[in-house]
Amino acid sequence: MSGPTLGMPAPKLAALLFGALLAATLPFWAGDQYQLHLAALICVYWILIAGLNLVVGFTGQLSIGHVGLLAIGAYAFAILAGKSGWHPALAVAAAGALGGLCGLGLGLPSLRLPGFYFAMATMAFALIVNEIVLAQVNLTGGGVGLPGPLFPPPFDTPKGFYYLVAALALAVTLLTWNIARRLWGLGLMAIRDNPVTAQAVGVPLLRAKLTVFVFSGITAGVAGAVFASLQSYITPDTFVFELSLFFFVCIIIGGRGSLIGPFLGTVVLTALPELVAPLAKLGNFFYGLLLLVVVLVVPEGIGRMFELLAERWRPKLAAHDEVAPDLARLKRALGGPR
Amino acid sequence: MLTVIVSGLAIGMLFAAVALVYNVMFSTSKVLSVTTGHIAMLGGVFGAYFVATLHWHWALGLLGAVAVGAAFGWATELLAIRRVLNRSDEHLWLLSTLALATMVQQGVGLWWGTEPKPFPRLITQDFSAGALDQKFWLPILMAALMAIGLELFYRRTMYGKLFLAMSEDAFAARARGVSTDRIRVLSYVLSGALGGLAGFAAGQLTFAYFALGLSLTLNGFIALAVGGLGSNIGALIGGVLLGLLNAFASHWFGGEYQQTIAVGLLMIVLLVKPEGLLGSKNVRPV
Repeated sequence: MSGPTLGMPAPKLAALLFGALLAATLPFWAGDQYQLHLAALICVYWILIAGLNLVVGFTGQLSIGHVGLLAIGAYAFAILAGKSGWHPALAVAAAGALGGLCGLGLGLPSLRLPGFYFAMATMAFALIVNEIVLAQVNLTGGGVGLPGPLFPPPFDTPKGFYYLVAALALAVTLLTWNIARRLWGLGLMAIRDNPVTAQAVGVPLLRAKLTVFVFSGITAGVAGAVFASLQSYITPDTFVFELSLFFFVCIIIGGRGSLIGPFLGTVVLTALPELVAPLAKLGNFFYGLLLLVVVLVVPEGIGRMFELLAERWRPKLAAHDEVAPDLARLKRALGGPR
Repeated sequence: MLTVIVSGLAIGMLFAAVALVYNVMFSTSKVLSVTTGHIAMLGGVFGAYFVATLHWHWALGLLGAVAVGAAFGWATELLAIRRVLNRSDEHLWLLSTLALATMVQQGVGLWWGTEPKPFPRLITQDFSAGALDQKFWLPILMAALMAIGLELFYRRTMYGKLFLAMSEDAFAARARGVSTDRIRVLSYVLSGALGGLAGFAAGQLTFAYFALGLSLTLNGFIALAVGGLGSNIGALIGGVLLGLLNAFASHWFGGEYQQTIAVGLLMIVLLVKPEGLLGSKNVRPV
């Protein structure tokens, strides 16, 4: 129902602190470089998914084209920091700004459209970006691709880079949390649940949708920039449409209208195919199956299922509502002037 | 120039056929399924498998492709539509059909391979026929037959009239004793069969390729939205318009920007006439 609040229960807070401690010390106990790479990848994905979560999970606008925005950010970073020789930090900012601008250009016409039309428009956007990347050989290298430059020291080692993306992910999480727990988050969920009612109680429909969409565009651009640096080489094949589906599944599985659910979804779904070899072979088939099962069995997300189980097992406090007539008021009402 | 026009017409008629399949499903369930293009993809891939790999006669291969399409249509209704419509949440069918479409695409990719494979020649004909080649006129003929057949079906048969009744008002149809669930299953089986037919007939044009489904879903939807949701004539017009635009754009500017141009057409039509060229105003949910 309501978004996450500041006054969260103690066990949840303890779990969050423990998770933060684990994440902060990860480079010291991670087994090898690859696990560190994986953790950085989770952070990069989460930067995008945190923004997309506001659009999909809170506002209920099913955008399946965010991989296009990711590609725009990645190519902007690779071109500006690699070819033009900008400082990488400046290039990240530029990639974020460009992502936001493209989000505005995409959202302005398409957010007026109803559900399926919007989904198709965003999907077409992703395909168009891919087409343009392939066609503009001079700028993007076409099918051959571009190298993604490294960040300057101390962020050029895997450890340093991990702390950089983790800090970015934390910043984006705080931003989305600020939106989600205030009146904004409630307004967005009202749009998701019933746009007519939301409009009737004064939520500016298009403006609210457009604002979170542009925000998600900025986060997608930033995510694309660090993604390009992490992967060290990008081609159009990196940004297949199925990656969009992956982002989408992370949010739906985690549960709509929650922050911690999609985060856990991102962690599990990124790590699972790497740790369980047969799943990696099935790849996107597995994601499709997972999405279908979740939609059919628990459309509110797996997080909601845990909540329901917890409610069932928690000992219920007996109600202590005594029913007694309010005699003073009754007397006043009866003896009052006729 | 003639080749450009004919190839544009052919690919446009394929888009129109996919739009017709959308219409059949939409009429009974008010659902626009993401799997629509994938049905045609299945028709093409299984047609190539039956005729080229298993060496069946082409008529038997056609029957097989139609049967596979119909089975997939039935499975779509069973897995992705029925439960979700009962819950009556607006967006969920989009997610479930998207999930099913991905599973089918990846499944075919794993089984059939990710390379486009050639579709066998159905009728012995010289490759020098140019604009009269069967790969062009087969899809054109098929889509025209499909449109005429659907029109006859809607006007002349009892089941067609039930489809129309459901598309007008499903609650009223149910109150009059129409078994709406059974009609919906029937419409999905029919649309699956039509999609399989379309994919089979256009196989030589598109090749048997596992990733075809998504672009057909998108282009068929553009044809539908341009022509007007729910209108079969509109679907034909929109498809032909889109196909000709694609063909001439790649003839004059090269083939790199096909998708951009198609979406441009969609945006212009949606801005000027949001309900499409021949759509009725109350059909489009706002």
